[in-house]
Amino acid sequence: MCRLKFDLSILAKHIPFLLEGAWLTLQACTLAVIGSLVLGLAVGAMRTSASPLLNRLAAVYVDIFRNIPFIVQLFFFYFGLPEIGIYIDAFTTGVVALSVAGGAFTSDVIRSGILAIDPGIIEAAQVSGLRKSTIFRKIILPIALRASVRPLGSVFINLILTSSILSTITLNELTGSAKIVASNTFRPFEVYFVLLVAYAALTYAVSIIIGMLHRYLNRNQSEGAV
Amino acid sequence: MISVSGVRKSFGAATVLNGVDLEIRQGEVVSVLGSSGSGKSTLIRCINGLEKIDAGKITVDGFDVSKPRELSEARKRSGTVFQLFNLYPHMTAVQNIALAPVEVLKVPRRQAEDEARELLRSVGLSERAEAYPSQLSGGQRQRVGICRALAMKPSYLLLDEVTSALDPEMTSEVLSILAALAKTGTTMVFVTHEIEFARSISTRIAFLDKGQLIADLPTAEFFSDKGMALPRVAQFLSKMRKD
Repeated sequence: MCRLKFDLSILAKHIPFLLEGAWLTLQACTLAVIGSLVLGLAVGAMRTSASPLLNRLAAVYVDIFRNIPFIVQLFFFYFGLPEIGIYIDAFTTGVVALSVAGGAFTSDVIRSGILAIDPGIIEAAQVSGLRKSTIFRKIILPIALRASVRPLGSVFINLILTSSILSTITLNELTGSAKIVASNTFRPFEVYFVLLVAYAALTYAVSIIIGMLHRYLNRNQSEGAV
Repeated sequence: MISVSGVRKSFGAATVLNGVDLEIRQGEVVSVLGSSGSGKSTLIRCINGLEKIDAGKITVDGFDVSKPRELSEARKRSGTVFQLFNLYPHMTAVQNIALAPVEVLKVPRRQAEDEARELLRSVGLSERAEAYPSQLSGGQRQRVGICRALAMKPSYLLLDEVTSALDPEMTSEVLSILAALAKTGTTMVFVTHEIEFARSISTRIAFLDKGQLIADLPTAEFFSDKGMALPRVAQFLSKMRKD
């Protein structure tokens, strides 16, 4: 027979500690989502710009960060950079690494959103005399973002899941705290069960928000737009 | 005045405009006719700077469209209406129309939107001011497209096959607006397949064939023996009338 019963109550006194970890995860993810969105917009714009230099630079960035495992990037930032005299604390490193990696994927989504815009719409804006920057802000970006909400949601959910890797650089976010509780209580089953539910709830909430946002932004575009 | 002189334009090996000269003065309504692929639309796209010309010169009120600095001035003076409307899908009819006046001419937003509503009223769309393009019929979209071009108070209106994507009923609702505009003395360059309509509103007909302007005549002359004397024109007109 099983000697240990499934008993969540033994985790009660560790809940504040786990919540602290969850709070850290939430902070890191929120900042990283903002960071990767800003980076993604800039790089997505560069990749669709007429300048071959900007285009090339952006493509190199995306290729590099999409083709290296996140944990390797993270270790390079956290354990590698101090060797050449650059010290950054774990939290900042985590947020920056997530933003930079997430930015590569985000820029790809935004780029395809921009490329999907009917060129005639942009031509109409050009001939009406609007400046390039105005066309980007008022026409290209709003249309591309509307089309990109759902794929961006997938990127951001992935980012939240990837944030668990930050536990490997001494950052006691949700996964990090869970590991500590598991080794203190010798109840890995219960601890990791709770962790599993916590991540599922977090990402499920995000996907619901994304769905709502998508419907809200596209509320007037449903009837067979040309 | 829009002045097109010696304009050549190729796409790869295909020569689309092969030395075109054309002048459009204030108050004229010039219809550009010709079969598909004769270069009509390309001519419009060269005048508004969407295509770069390979040789020759195009000026709008003296502003050279091939010079980036002058292109923006040239564009302020001409408005374009497109075959496929090209409305901004995320903006209402009013927002579509008011955007350029606010951003380019620095008209206060409130005033620009009032003027947009007034334009919409004049084309019979006051009820649809807050509708998005996807909620409008093709004919309604094109009427918004015309309002958007007019909102910039252009000296010249460039119309690129504006009824080609519409059914006959919607075509007539758009054409009646253009006829009214022609009466008010709006200068228009009208690329079209609607021959009878072109005949009724134009002061002049320009006929393009294989990238060359083979006729540039006052409307009455074009549809008389003088136009018919040109084999290509006679052939085109008889064919279009049969259809």
